[in-house]
This record gives sequence, C-alpha cells and structure tokens, in this order.
Amino acid sequence: MKTPSLQQKLIRPLPLAIRVHSSYSLWHKYIVSFLLLLASAPIVSAQTSNTQERLENAATLIRENRIAEAEQQLNSILRIAPNEAVALNLLGTVRAQQGRLNEAENLLTRAIHVDPKFVPAHMNLAFLYMLKHAPEKTILELKEVINLEPGNAEANYKLARLLLSQGQIDEAINTIEKAKAEQPSFVALLPLLGEAYLRKSNAEKAEENYLLALAAQKDNADAILGLARVSQMRGDTKTALGYLSRARELAGDSPDLLYKLGVAALGLGVYDEAQSVLEQAVKLKPDEPAYFIALGATWLKKADVFTAEQAFRRALKLQPDNAQGQMYLGYVLYKQKKFGEAKGYFEKTIKTDSSVPESFYYLGLIVQEENEDERAIELFEKAVKMSPLFANAHVALGASYLKLKDYVRAQKELELGAKLNPDDSKAHYQLALLYARLKDQKRVQAEMQIIEKLKALNQSQKGQSDTFVITPATPNPR
Amino acid sequence: MSFISKTVYAAFQLGLILSLMVLNLPSISSAQEAPKKANVTFEEVPAKKSGIIWVHNNAHSTNRYLPETVGAGGAFFDYDNDGWMDIYLVNSGPSDFYTPTTPLKNALYHNNHDGTFSDVTDKAGVAGGTFGMGVAAADYDGDRWADLYITSYGRNILYHNNGNGTFTDVTDKAGVAAPGWSTCAVWFDYDNDGKLDLFVSSFVVYEKSLNILCTDETLSRRYYCVPRLFKPRSSLLFHNDGNGKFTDVSKESGIADSPGKSFGAVATDVNNDGLMDLFVANDTLPNFLFINKGDGKFEEVGLAAGVAFSDAGKPRSGMGVDAADYDGDGWQDLFVANIDREFFSLYHNQKDLIFTDEPDEIGTATQMLSGWGLRFFDYDNDSDPDLFLVNGHPDDFIEMRTTRVRYKEPLLMFENTGQTFRNVSAQSGIVFSKEFSGRGMAVGDFDNDGDLDVLISNNGEPPLLLRNEGGNRNNWLGLQLVTTKSNPAAVGAVITWQAGGVKRGRLKTAGGSYLSSHDPREILGIGSATKIDNVEIRWPSGKVDKLANPPINSYIKVIEGEGVSRGGGRPAN
Repeated sequence: MKTPSLQQKLIRPLPLAIRVHSSYSLWHKYIVSFLLLLASAPIVSAQTSNTQERLENAATLIRENRIAEAEQQLNSILRIAPNEAVALNLLGTVRAQQGRLNEAENLLTRAIHVDPKFVPAHMNLAFLYMLKHAPEKTILELKEVINLEPGNAEANYKLARLLLSQGQIDEAINTIEKAKAEQPSFVALLPLLGEAYLRKSNAEKAEENYLLALAAQKDNADAILGLARVSQMRGDTKTALGYLSRARELAGDSPDLLYKLGVAALGLGVYDEAQSVLEQAVKLKPDEPAYFIALGATWLKKADVFTAEQAFRRALKLQPDNAQGQMYLGYVLYKQKKFGEAKGYFEKTIKTDSSVPESFYYLGLIVQEENEDERAIELFEKAVKMSPLFANAHVALGASYLKLKDYVRAQKELELGAKLNPDDSKAHYQLALLYARLKDQKRVQAEMQIIEKLKALNQSQKGQSDTFVITPATPNPR
Repeated sequence: MSFISKTVYAAFQLGLILSLMVLNLPSISSAQEAPKKANVTFEEVPAKKSGIIWVHNNAHSTNRYLPETVGAGGAFFDYDNDGWMDIYLVNSGPSDFYTPTTPLKNALYHNNHDGTFSDVTDKAGVAGGTFGMGVAAADYDGDRWADLYITSYGRNILYHNNGNGTFTDVTDKAGVAAPGWSTCAVWFDYDNDGKLDLFVSSFVVYEKSLNILCTDETLSRRYYCVPRLFKPRSSLLFHNDGNGKFTDVSKESGIADSPGKSFGAVATDVNNDGLMDLFVANDTLPNFLFINKGDGKFEEVGLAAGVAFSDAGKPRSGMGVDAADYDGDGWQDLFVANIDREFFSLYHNQKDLIFTDEPDEIGTATQMLSGWGLRFFDYDNDSDPDLFLVNGHPDDFIEMRTTRVRYKEPLLMFENTGQTFRNVSAQSGIVFSKEFSGRGMAVGDFDNDGDLDVLISNNGEPPLLLRNEGGNRNNWLGLQLVTTKSNPAAVGAVITWQAGGVKRGRLKTAGGSYLSSHDPREILGIGSATKIDNVEIRWPSGKVDKLANPPINSYIKVIEGEGVSRGGGRPAN
C-alpha cells in the first residue's frame, strides 16, 4: 500500500524551469538535491509502519542536512532488512552527497536489483551517472525510467537534452515526439524539439515548434532565442536581432535568462550584445562558472585573449575541475604561446573528461611545438579516432607527418583535412608546403590560389577573428 | 600552432656546392667553463652629455602619408678611420607630399673619443635632402674609407668618402639612385668577386596621389593605411663593376621575379655553401629567402623553407630581420619581427633549407608588440649571440582602437641560454621600462670599451644612444678585419675562436636590423677565460688566417693573408 500522505509530503513536483547553464558545481548541487527529492520515493507496501516511519524520518533528516543521523537511521534499517529498496535508495543519495560515488552506485544498483521497477532508484542512478560523466549509462537509465513511466516528463526532457548534447539528434527527436504525444501540455519540450530540428538544419520544423511553445507561453525565452537562430539560419539578421531584443526585454534581472541570451548572441555573432548581457549576468550571479566561460568565449571571439583568459581563470577559481573551463583556458594560453601552462590545463581536461577530441588535438599542437613529434602524432591520431570528421586534427596530423618527411601519410591526412573543411587555409598552406617540397610547382600555385581566395573571403567576413573549434558553453543536460 | 614552420623539406639540390666552403662550425664543447654572469645594463646617454641634439622629423601630417611612419635608421661607422665609431642619422625631407617648413638634414656626428659627438654634417656634405629612410655604410670601392648609401622615399644617395672628412654624392655616376621607395640596403658580395654589391629593399608603389583614405567610423579621422592596400615592387640588386659604377642585375639574378613590400634584409649563408643568401622581410606579403645559386642567380625558396608565412599560411607584417647561429650548431638561424598579434619568429635552421619557428619566450613577450630594429649580438661577451629588439606601433591612433596595443613600445633584451632565449629586459636597465616609437637600431662599440652599445632611431623623436655597462666584465677580443682579396667588408668571413674550453664560430653577415648599419668590427666574447687559445679567420676568398695566443681585451687589426697587423692592437678604453 502506498502512503499518499507521505508521498505528498516527500515527492514534490519536478521543476519545469530548466536551467541551461553548464556549471558543474551547480549541476552537482542540483543533482544531489534532486537525488534527495527522489530519495523519499514511494515506500512499498511490504514495509511495516515502523519501518515507514523510520524511512520517513531518515528522509526528513537528509532534507535537513543531518546526514550522520540519517545514515545511522538507514544503517539500522538495513541491518534488519538488508534488501529494503527504499533504504538502499536513500543511503545511495547520502553517499552521493558525500561524494562517495562508487558506493552510491552500488547502493542504487542494489535497490534496483531488489525492485527493478523502482523508478526513483533508476532516476537517481541516471543522475549519478551524470555526475560520473557517463552519458551512455545515463541514457540507459533514463530510458528505463521512461519505459516504466512513459509520461515521466523530467526523464523525457533530460533524455532528450542528453541525446542532443551527444549528437544523437534523430533519437532525441523521437524521444521528444513520443513524450509530446504522452504529455501534450509539457511546453518545455517544444523549444528542445526546435533545437533538435535546428541542428538538423530544418528551419521550418524548428520554427514550427518554437512558435508552438510561444503560443503556449508567450514569454518563453528559449523559444524566442530559438526563433532568433532560425532567422539567422535564413540569413535574416534583422529579424534575428529583433528576437534578441525581445528576449532581452524578458530577461530583466534574471541571470539565467541573461546567460541564455548571451549564449544566443554569441552564436549569432553579436559579440557586443553577448558581452553586455553576460557581464550583467556575471554581476548578478558572480559565483556561476558557466557565465564566466561564456563571457570568456565572447572575448575570444572579440580577439581579446587576455580578457578571455581572465574570465576563464575566474571560472576555474569557482570550479577548478570544470573541464570546459580548463580547455578554454588551455586554449587561450596556447594562443599566447604559453605552452607550459596550457599543456597542464589540457592534461587536466583529459584527466577530467577523456571523451573530448579537442583536448587531445590542442595538447598535440603543444607537444608538436615542443618538438615531441611522435607524441603529437599519437594525440592527433586519438583525436581523429574519436572524431573521424575532425578536420583540424587531420591537418595537424598531416603537418606532423610532413615534418617527419613522411610525405605519403602527410598528403593523405592533409588532403582529407582539406576535403573535410575546404575553407581551412591552414590545410591548404600545409598542402602548398608539401608540394613545394615535392617540387610540384603547379599544385603549389593551385593551393596558394585557394589560400588567396579564402583570405579575400575572410576579409569580407568581419568579426570571425578566432577559430577555436569548441562551441562555447554548451548547456549540459539537466 | 606552428607545424608549418616545423615541417621538413626534400633535400635541396644545389647546382654548385663548394665543398671547401661547407662550414660546420663547432658548437660549445662539453668541457666548457660556465660563463661569468656579466650583469649587463644599457644606460641612456642623454643628448646633453653626448651632444647628439638632432631630432628625427617624421613629417607627420593629417593625411597620414605612409612614409611618415616607417623611418628612419642610423649607423655606427668610422668615417675618418680614427678607430672610433661615428654616428649617422637619417631624416625625412622634401617629397611629393611634404615640403619642410625649415630644411631637414641627416646628421653625421663625429666621435670625439670622450663620449661626446660633434655635428660635422655640413662639413662632410652628407645632409641628404631626400625623404630619407635608411643607411648602409661600407667601403664599396676598396679605398679603405667607409662610404654611405642612403635609402629614401624618392631618390637614394651614394656618398663616396673622400678620405678627408668630406663626401661626394656619386649616385648618378654609380647608377644606384633607384627611385621609388627604398627601405633597407645591404652591401655584400654575392658573386665572390671581392667587390661589394648592393641589395636595396623596395617597399610599395607609392606616390602622393596614391594615398588612400584609411579611416574608421568611430574615429572619423585618417590613420596610416595597411600596406596591403598598395602594390608591391621588386627589390633591386646592383652588381659592383669595380669602376665606381654599378649594374642593375635585378632581372638576370632573379631578384626581380619576386615583387614584394620589403623592409628588413640580411645577407647570410643559410646552406653553408660559401655563397651569401638573402633573407628579406615583407609587409603583408610572404617573406623571401633568396638562395644564391652561385651563377649570379638567386632562387626564392621562402615557402618551402617555412619562413615565408605564419603557421596558418598567412603572410605577416615582416619588418626587422637578422641572422645568426644562435645555438652554435654551425648553421645560420633567422629572425623576423612582425606587427602586434602576429608573433615574431625565430627560425631555427634544420640544415636542409628547412626552418622551424621556435620563438619560445620571445613569442609570449612580443605578442602585442610591433618590431623593427633588432640584432643578434653578444651583449655580455659570454660568447653567444643575444638578441635586442626595438619596437613601436606604426599607427599613432592605435590606442584609440585597442587598449592592448600602444603606439610607443618598450625595448626588449633576450639573453641566449644555449638553446633558446630568456627575457632579461627587466634586469637590463631602466631604459627597458620606457616606451619609444622605435624603428632603426644599430650596434657598435662607440666608446671602444669592448662591449657593444646600441643606437636607436625613433620615429619623430630624438635618437637613443645606449651605453653597454658591464658587458666588458667578461673578457673579449676585438677584430678589425682588413681584406686584401675578399670584399672590403669581409662579409662572408667565418671567424672561429677557442677560449676556456669553449669553441665558437661566427659568420660575418651583412645588413640585418632595420634601415641601419652596424660597427663593422667583431667582438669575440670569451666569458671568464683569461686567454684565447686560437682564432681562425676563413676569408671569403678562401684564405685562412690563424692567430695563436692573441691578446685579450683589446682590438687588433687582422689583414687578410697576413694575420695580425704589426702595431695594430688597440687597448681597451
């Protein structure tokens, strides 16, 4: 038997206002607190009223941050009933809060083993995997939740965002379309669907969903910012700026909205606007690393590596293990030829999250500068293995082979790099160097002509002063 | 990233390789003594003390004519053969866009041997009268008196030294007027015929009517245009015919095949074949590396050598250049200074006509600077070449457009640590905390105390004379090379010396820096060693002179084929 009163007290409605910033610290806090919410999940009927009371008490203690007492209470329950799923789930949240993630995983897995249909434990495990930077496992758990509760809005939303962030666009669209069918009133899904279609360059479908979101919520900032991007995609900068302006009105003093607006402005290439709103966001909420990262990315786009460096350093002061911050800081230091320090940050980034090919790429560039050619090749090869379409990494790999006089491999990699990104003048320059060394003047001339054309093109496209290959401050799934 | 500059190159097939001339200069032996730290500083010699009251007039105007911002240069040279370095300074002058309100003059300052100088310009007859850019001093006719070649926006001037304190303008007779816009000039012997030929860097096609309106919306006033907007011109090579006349061989030598926007130029031998090559910096175009093929022809290989472009394949704003074997591996390395955000490049010679850009600490220090005059020289006499950089942004409005770049910029001093350079500017004197609109820079021992001093030409400002204080705490030997068969400047001579277990080699290059000309003597630093075991001079003619147990801490005169000149020593001042 469920205990409705207890459920009502302990299970609050899921928050629908989804935060988009990627702050690990806040994200961590958020997940842990979410784990706590779910910790007080339905208590199964087999429990005695005494156990129910003790579990309720433990949940209250956790909520009040009286962790030691809660732990004591839960351990005493588990001594008597080692397979008590709710207790295992609660203790799992305690361990997660204590940062003992492996123990937390063990407890939550045990809870699920005892009760495979225990949704809160699955949800908690999904969050735990997020904390452990294991997106594939998170996806599996969220799918399990949706399998058990097809209408679970939060699980659907988070799964869709995660799939999007992993580049699994079609699956994200399927997930959202299904969730829409289950819960047509869940407006938060619509901008997400718009985002997914935008990523597929389907401006019509994106617009359709953003407009639906606006129809349901006329002040939906995500939808307005999405419409700005749709306009930009269509080359209609004026309309895009109009949407930005509307979003700005809505943003008011909301740091989250200002941040979203800043990221959108950055994406639209309106760097002064991005700088202005992000500085406002930072002022309103100076403890949010993601804001500093986005601000730093804006300075990078404005070709001011020094101010960018300061912003990234602020982000890392707030959250030293922020992989994105480490990578950005590494990048600006690399740009300033401060190779020693840059190297340290890329190595840290890889340690924190070894799934980002760009970290290997930039570390490769640095060791290449230090004449460690073999290691550079290893790192570039890793990057292209992780991301076979990573044009810059192919070019860098080709350049390394060129340096080692392995002209056959050099040519293969450089030509592939140039094919993947025909607008990359570095690829063409390296090819020109290769052909010059092979005494093939005709091909040298051809490559130099391409470089000249690209130069003319770049001169006509102002504002693209930086070519960092990482997209700025990508919102993490929540 | 710099994989471009670190790439390799298929072995370059030289038609003529003079095996006798292959110079694998010795590097530091493992048994070397640690060189004594000299704690060198450069101290400003004020005009009041030196007597150099001349000020550069840059003809600054609201129309922002480009020649206004790129000048000028200066020289250390001994015009009266008294053994003391005199100073020559180049000024602007009348042109199609500028009429001075009062006559402008270049200046020749006679060294009074006591730290002061006297203006002898009018007496010597070297006032110029063109819109001057740079100067190259050398004895082009082998009469043992140093002559002067002045480059200009307009007509260049060749002043022949009459040997009596006066000069004669022989430009037309010599055929080296080279109208247009010339910047740097280099005296060197490209065909090893014992006579000094002349390379003249040409900048853009320019005249008053071509002055484009360069402005921006926020300032609503003109600034100096980027040279990208002007057409390139070919540089010039003049062959010295030996009768006071020169023949323009730009076309037949291949130099004219590469139109550029050239500033700095240095003659050096990058492939150790005994023939002097040319490295030329271009502004907004790829730099040139002209390889001397030995048959009167040059081949431009900058791209394949990896010295033409930035790592991203973009041409940069090359200005000052120099060459030296900074790591003692026997191969000439190259340096080029660029404009802010482009980074300066230290090109390490990989020995197969391929260079890798390895600026290390110089890269971070120069990121936001624009470099002009620069020179590799051994400022502390520890035997290896250090590096002095003179900087300044060409646009006097730059600070209105960015907060990161300044119009006047600091000087920089880098000490050679063996394989790379360390920024020692902060410890090298108060002058390094100041900012200048620096352009030309010449190196010379004006006080004959055995360490190299520095002369800097500032755009629109007084020049800066810096006395080296402390370089001579380490021991040294000064050489004045006097040729009998080789070219009078001994350009291309290779000097090797051994002292205190350290073996060093130095190629006598020509040109280098920006618009400027250096003391022709060579100071060989020996650190704390108290004796020089031997000195060998391999002259461009192929002759070799060996000096055993030469004196230290003094200048000696070495005559080609004869060794040390009797009574040629000059004690340290």
